[in-house]
Amino acid sequence: GAAATVTVTHCGACRRALSALRPDTAALLTSTRKRGAATYAQTLQNIPDTQVTTLDNGLRVASEESNQPTCTVGLWIEAGSRYEDAKTNGAGFFMEHMAFKGTKKRPGSAFEKEVESLGAHLNGYTSREQTAFYIKALSKDMPKAVELLSDLVQNCALEDSQIEKERSIILQELKEMDSSLTDVTFDYLHATAYQGTALAQTVEGTTENIKRLTRADLASYIDTHFKAPRMVLAAAGGISHRELVDAAKQHFTGAPFTYKGDSVPALPRCRFTGSEIRARDDALPLAHIALAVEGPGWADPDNVVLNVANAIIGRYDRTFGGGKNQSSRLATLAVEHNLCHSFEPFNTSYSDTGLFGFHFVSDPLSVDDMMFCAQREWMRLCTSATESEVTRAKNWLRNAMVAQLDGTTRVCENIGSNLLHYGRRIPLEEWDARISAVDARMVRDVCSKYIYDKCPAIAAVGDCFLWPSKWSSLEKEDSV
Amino acid sequence: FWRNSWEAFSYSSYPVARAHRFDGCKAVCFIYLHVVSFAVLLCAAPASVRCVHNDVAVPDFSAYRRDDVQDATTSSQGSSDSRKGFSYLMTAATGVTGAYVAKNVVTQFISSLSASADVLALSKIEIKLSDIPEGKNVAFKWRGKPLFVRHRTQAEISQEAEVDVSQLRDPQHDLDRVKKPEWVIVVGVCTHLGCVPIANAGDYGGYYCPCHGSHYDASGRIRKGPAPLNLEVPVYQFVGDDTVVVG
Repeated sequence: GAAATVTVTHCGACRRALSALRPDTAALLTSTRKRGAATYAQTLQNIPDTQVTTLDNGLRVASEESNQPTCTVGLWIEAGSRYEDAKTNGAGFFMEHMAFKGTKKRPGSAFEKEVESLGAHLNGYTSREQTAFYIKALSKDMPKAVELLSDLVQNCALEDSQIEKERSIILQELKEMDSSLTDVTFDYLHATAYQGTALAQTVEGTTENIKRLTRADLASYIDTHFKAPRMVLAAAGGISHRELVDAAKQHFTGAPFTYKGDSVPALPRCRFTGSEIRARDDALPLAHIALAVEGPGWADPDNVVLNVANAIIGRYDRTFGGGKNQSSRLATLAVEHNLCHSFEPFNTSYSDTGLFGFHFVSDPLSVDDMMFCAQREWMRLCTSATESEVTRAKNWLRNAMVAQLDGTTRVCENIGSNLLHYGRRIPLEEWDARISAVDARMVRDVCSKYIYDKCPAIAAVGDCFLWPSKWSSLEKEDSV
Repeated sequence: FWRNSWEAFSYSSYPVARAHRFDGCKAVCFIYLHVVSFAVLLCAAPASVRCVHNDVAVPDFSAYRRDDVQDATTSSQGSSDSRKGFSYLMTAATGVTGAYVAKNVVTQFISSLSASADVLALSKIEIKLSDIPEGKNVAFKWRGKPLFVRHRTQAEISQEAEVDVSQLRDPQHDLDRVKKPEWVIVVGVCTHLGCVPIANAGDYGGYYCPCHGSHYDASGRIRKGPAPLNLEVPVYQFVGDDTVVVG
């Protein structure tokens, strides 16, 4: 379908009224109109294309040039906790910590000092399916940034003394993360939904592993997973693709692309289990609940429809000023009946599976009611999503999709992730077209496909005892 | 991309700032796991053991899994329909069986309020036919009413068979009122106002009701008098050669 066009117009009456009162303002407005602001469709088309080059060793180099003084350059790698097993769980996270502790060429603090001397920011993250390291710097420093990244990934020093020091720091970080109950809830959700599989593991690993991992384990992790075909060098900002490719060729040609004994690590399918886990602690004031059914993988087109559905559900927390007058029905109910402190839907995707659900934080006594209302909202989407709310959700989604790409870092992240998830950068025009193609019937069909009569996985943390067993929640999955 | 747009919502990634934050770690509360006591064991051990959520492992429920979902590397979606189908079938079957059982239990309890066996036993009477000689009419008490069992002679049978049915007040042929022609079984209550007729009396060789003068013949049909209908023929059955069960 054609991309939606949003044009700014002044209604005739408005213009007339203004011209009656303040002639010069009216003239100014009219002259702006005549010059013509770009339409929404035009702005989408004017975004420069993402250029992708693949080096001989399989490394993909992708960039979006946008004439800015700064740039973000980063490496997105297909490695994460899903690739680890019980003994090596946490190696990726540990390695990420070690990455900033010096390389063979720049030992100790020399690496960080060099980054800082550019005035650049070095950052990174590890998640279940991808690892990223990126540098935000001035555009002119892009070649240096590429060199630093290549050094970081290919020549990590992994000094034994540093490793020992890092253990206690990581353990401390784990303890800190335990206080973020939302993160804990989602970790438990993964642990129960994907029990017995690699996706159940946390990114940070177990304390036993953190105490036990050796230099050999980390080196082996890097050796097994940091291969050129699984890496994407992405950049966005005031850089030129040609220069980026040259820099990549200069520093990444040596990146390995073969596996020992040709044993390419295969990513087995992770089985989803409808189940429940409760970490009850009555000393905590609130209950955190996350509920999810199995969703589609990244590349599935149903994701667009599910995200529209999530936009219909909306989100809420107590700081919202709308009160009872919010467009999200569930939010209105939450306010009217004091159901929860906050709720949000989510659609987390992995390469071949996903979690589609919602998370809420509520008082212990309202957990049951909130669960009932949220599931009833789900069922309403399955059976009677209306065109008007789908239109509203689509507009919200278009807005969010475009707004999130402000800044070179976000664009760079988008490029890196897209190439890993979809194999290509999906342009905003295409997203817009896909979103426009969604209608109420599609929302009902797709929601029914994933939600109706399916077993969910539920994780509950905190004072969650007063909520009856999951079986009563399950009944509601197929009662309207 | 979607992880980005739902950055606050998506938990497939953990952006970690390089500056480590050490702002007042809270004491980790003892987390009681509803499902398993593994964490309890962990925390019950010496004080140096740390309790973090990363160490909590969901136990292996393979012993409870169905065969279709034993393999952790196969999607559970494929077998989802058959597993659900089986569960629903079992539920439906149990429901139907349960309903049947419940209905039976309830009806058994309620039917205990109805007539008891001894009362029902009185509703039937078993009569030994060899005790009744030919030409004789014997009266029994049955359901509170007199029951006449008459052993007819051949002469009586042929006489009744020849009667013109169209002349009768309540037209019924004799053979329609008996199963075996030599045995007439009727309720001995006059159809006029309920008196008991006298056997072997009256003008027609049958019964005579003394109250108002109704004459019945040897088949129990009304011939003369105020009674409107023939004597009632109850339900009866010959069991064997010698016995008849009435009722």
